[in-house]
Amino acid sequence: MSGARLAPLVTMRVAGFLRTGRFIPPLLAALVLLSILYGGGQADAAEAYGVSALLMFPVLAWQTKLLLDAEPDVQRRLAVVALRSRRREAVAGLLAASVIAVPAVIIALGLPWVVNGVKHAHAGTGLLLGLWAHAIVLPPALAVGAWSSRVIATTAGRATAVLVGGAVLGLVLGLSGSPVPWLAPPLMGAARALANGIGAGALGGFTGWALVWSALVLAGYGWLRRTRA
Amino acid sequence: MRLDEVSFRYGRRTAWVLSEVTVDIGDGEVVVVRGRNGAGKSTLLQMMAGVLQPTRGRILDRPSRVGWVPERFPAEQPFTVSGYLAAMAALHGAGSPAPWIDRLGLAPFRTVKLAELSKGTAQKVGLAQALICRPQLLVLDEPWEGLDAAARDLVPDIVAEIVAAGGSVIVSDHRGDTARLPEATEWTVDGARVTPERAEKARTGADTPWLIEVAAGDGPAAVAALRAAGHEIIRVRA
Repeated sequence: MSGARLAPLVTMRVAGFLRTGRFIPPLLAALVLLSILYGGGQADAAEAYGVSALLMFPVLAWQTKLLLDAEPDVQRRLAVVALRSRRREAVAGLLAASVIAVPAVIIALGLPWVVNGVKHAHAGTGLLLGLWAHAIVLPPALAVGAWSSRVIATTAGRATAVLVGGAVLGLVLGLSGSPVPWLAPPLMGAARALANGIGAGALGGFTGWALVWSALVLAGYGWLRRTRA
Repeated sequence: MRLDEVSFRYGRRTAWVLSEVTVDIGDGEVVVVRGRNGAGKSTLLQMMAGVLQPTRGRILDRPSRVGWVPERFPAEQPFTVSGYLAAMAALHGAGSPAPWIDRLGLAPFRTVKLAELSKGTAQKVGLAQALICRPQLLVLDEPWEGLDAAARDLVPDIVAEIVAAGGSVIVSDHRGDTARLPEATEWTVDGARVTPERAEKARTGADTPWLIEVAAGDGPAAVAALRAAGHEIIRVRA
């Protein structure tokens, strides 16, 4: 019964996020970035989606932060009391952030076909690889967004530093010459692999890497949330 | 429910708000928490409600259904009164909030957005969201703050109903409104310590007479009912 009660909280948070119009700034940012990406002519779908996923990483992280910060602190505490669990309340927040990421990813996947930004050769494979590229970006984006939320960062300045720092480091540390690429989620590596032709082994490796990185960062978020309601 | 050697501070470098607090609240018990502003009353209440986790110590046997009325209801939300209460009822796994909407006089505000409510009406919504789960523990942080006279009179009735059902109620108050709860036990928060005191009834003397005024026509019936309930009637004057 208590598990089933996550759904009403997820619904409530998504509704609050949409009704307050907080979805508009990240949506506009996504449209601007994707327009720049696809404004220069046609590219191979898999390669283009690799870059698109990189661009969506900070957008999805920002969107996550905005969703988690949409409700007042006291309302978040009322949800903790209702669910009798800080952990379930935190999980509901991440699930709600995942829900609102779906339309953003659909836009990122669909837009290049609308604006004729990708080559139609191997469209099915390209679309599947694009879905995979955006899917492995989502967990790290949720993790960075969660760390920049008000309940953890506490001040606007710190939240901005965490969000921007996390997004930038997530990309910079993944550059091909990086001495510590394992500190970042495998976003740059996946984009490079998509541009050069990716094999099944690499798909599994990058997926595992993204999941382990996100699990570790989200575990830190969960550990802090034990005492922060 | 028991707080066992509970201590709390908001950060590693901050002072202890509560230190080594051990208190019990029994089934059917009403506790009034007193203390100056900033003494830690709200912190204590939020720990009892399950909002805050003790830094040290344990909280044992917290009931499964808890209602918490925060000192200030967060009205800056994009929901109508009925939409919000329906959502909170779903979170609690409770039934329809309609009975509490009617009882607290919120029916005319069903379709009004929370942000457009007056402070007192918003506080009623805060009260309603805590009651829809039929709480076994009701935690009220300054519940009379901002309420109109009718709603203020309703709070003791609600407390009595929860107690009659075997539930417990803990109330903080700095305005003296808890005189409306004469059977309550009193806890004083001061210097990071919580000191339980004798029940208010015992402190003020169980023999202290009460003056009750009723309409003239209802007098004989009221006297008979009070006697039937075991009360001693000292004097009746028309």
